[in-house]
Amino acid sequence: MKSSSTGGVGRSWQSTATVSCSGKRIQKEMRELNLEAPPHSSAGPKGDNLYHWVATLIAPQGTPYQGGIFFLDIAFPVDYPFRPPQVLFKTRIFHCNVDSAGNVALDILKDGWSPALTISKLLLALTSLLSNPDPYKPLVPGIAHLYLEDKAKHNELAAEWTRRFAR
Amino acid sequence: MFRSNNYNVTARIFQRQIRTPAPGTSFHCARRFYENIVPSCTIYDAECPDHSFRKFTEDGQYLISFSRNHQDLIVYRPSWLTFSCKEEDCDGQDLPLKARKFESFFSQLYSVPLASSSELICKDFFLYIESNQFGLFATSTPQVHDAPAIGGAVHGVPSVEKITFHLLRLGDGVILDERVFRNDYVNLAHSMGVFLYDDLLAIVSLRYQKIHIIQIRDSGTLVDVRAIGEFCQEDDELFLNSSYQCTANGDRSRQHHVPVDHVGQSDNHNQPSPENSFLSGIKQRMLSFIFQGIWNEETDETLRMQHVKKKFYFHFQDYVDLIMWKVQLLDRHHLLIKFGSVDGGVSRNADNHPAFLAVYNMETTDIVAFYQNSVDELYLLFEQFCDHFHVTSKRSLYMNFISSHSNNIHVREQVRSNKNKATSLPQFVKKMLSSLPYCSQSQSPSPYFDQSLFRYDEKLISATERHRQCTDHPIKFISRQSNTLKFKIKPGPEVGTADGRVKKISSFLFHPFLPLALSIQQTWSLQPAVVNIHFRR
Repeated sequence: MKSSSTGGVGRSWQSTATVSCSGKRIQKEMRELNLEAPPHSSAGPKGDNLYHWVATLIAPQGTPYQGGIFFLDIAFPVDYPFRPPQVLFKTRIFHCNVDSAGNVALDILKDGWSPALTISKLLLALTSLLSNPDPYKPLVPGIAHLYLEDKAKHNELAAEWTRRFAR
Repeated sequence: MFRSNNYNVTARIFQRQIRTPAPGTSFHCARRFYENIVPSCTIYDAECPDHSFRKFTEDGQYLISFSRNHQDLIVYRPSWLTFSCKEEDCDGQDLPLKARKFESFFSQLYSVPLASSSELICKDFFLYIESNQFGLFATSTPQVHDAPAIGGAVHGVPSVEKITFHLLRLGDGVILDERVFRNDYVNLAHSMGVFLYDDLLAIVSLRYQKIHIIQIRDSGTLVDVRAIGEFCQEDDELFLNSSYQCTANGDRSRQHHVPVDHVGQSDNHNQPSPENSFLSGIKQRMLSFIFQGIWNEETDETLRMQHVKKKFYFHFQDYVDLIMWKVQLLDRHHLLIKFGSVDGGVSRNADNHPAFLAVYNMETTDIVAFYQNSVDELYLLFEQFCDHFHVTSKRSLYMNFISSHSNNIHVREQVRSNKNKATSLPQFVKKMLSSLPYCSQSQSPSPYFDQSLFRYDEKLISATERHRQCTDHPIKFISRQSNTLKFKIKPGPEVGTADGRVKKISSFLFHPFLPLALSIQQTWSLQPAVVNIHFRR
């Protein structure tokens, strides 16, 4: 049930060097996030586990998701920032790039990841995913199809999902 | 000398004739007569059937009892004692032996078997639907601890193979409807897990974290209105499945394994873990309410992040792990839900566990308010407006006279003095708020518990139904107005038992408006209970 065991979160201490390294990096990003937070989103460690974060996206006005508050799990690997964090939606969302288990398809979370990227940039990318879904790299082709064919219907459904599951 | 005469019945009747009570006080004045008409006569150890007596219904029509083997329901009609007497000075005589028994006061209406082979009646559970004279009873199989948490059940909550709620027409004992919960857990002690408001029942499934809202129709059927937990609206699940289907259909030709999988899953109802990784409907509402509150508390952009991190994300998992313990309806739309940790939901003494109270509107599916159980704000609301939490049947006027610290100066003074004496205020607040959400029908409306009429030792007896440790001393009821002893209630045999060390437990059943009460004293040994009948001669 707990997804905290995935992605080598914090608890595995095989290489102390990398853990403290990634830990320092996460702490640094946390300080930076405090100083300049991207609008409509925030994130922070769950309890005292530095490797397991929760993020909140306040859906931007003008999108079919407006009024929704989306919670996401962010799990950092021990060798962060050399591997991307894992992101999982904890709130149901009708979105062609989020599958029915909450997994997100975002380029920067896979091949497009670079150690230069930060949590702040990740939050920004996730927020803009709400405004601009990418129907050409869908995780749920049905929704992408609907988005391209009948955008009004898509937005109506997305708004209804938000009203039911994301308030 | 003259003053005290004002308080006898004759003086009161005379007063009633010549004086109009102050506006709005006529009921209070009429109730003063209860000071004169008291259950001061006791039949000790009355000869009576060996049942466990549960309670008088709120309209005084029925006395509910269960057989000792927890199989049958036996219902009595309270009637007034009548007997004939040949002697000249009848009032001076003792009651004739024939009259000194249970049957003189109660006539049996019927006895019906409720429990099936493996189930037993939960004798702590009974709710009365006054408008239709229906009774709600529960039977269950023994509970299993360490039950595996399967199918979305909460880990650590015991399981009961079968819990059955029976709706009966009390007039003739006909079973009208039943509702079965399987491999579930509903807290039946003192009817804690079930709340009745008008014709709406709220049943908390602790194991599956669902509040079942069920309507009791006049026809005597139980109708599911909605279930709150995983989903908030009654058609959420249907909507979810149909939109999965819809997006899958539009995509038949291409790779469509993801959506199709889901349609299959929801059909056979064994959803695998990925489905459960989403927050449940009620948790999403709760977390987003807490988040927005904390987010809006701090307007400074740079400080806000720090604020949210400390106050929200740090506790996020704790909030997620909360379970719904108990619920009450505040009106037809609003629920007061108590959230707490798994440990506190099952154990009897939940005082030491952190708990939260949420007001939830089930029509709009919004959380209206959310409090920790130690905050002053909620306590002050509770102190002043206790009766708003305490919704009772509005049918009988006397139900409005159940004393509370919001409607009775004496109770309020008592609470205030306890508050001042308390060493730790948060601890005091917690203790006071532990009575929320209220249990349905847990207080007796008897006028003898009205604290504007009588005072009595609340450690020994009170309107709240509880089994109490019993002393050998009689319990005194003292008139507030004249400060004189009006009557005594003594449970147990007339002369104290030989062995004073045996622990005795007593319970009291007061008729809602007649000067009639039963006191039942039990020892832990297998001796039958000693039932005393207290009444006015």
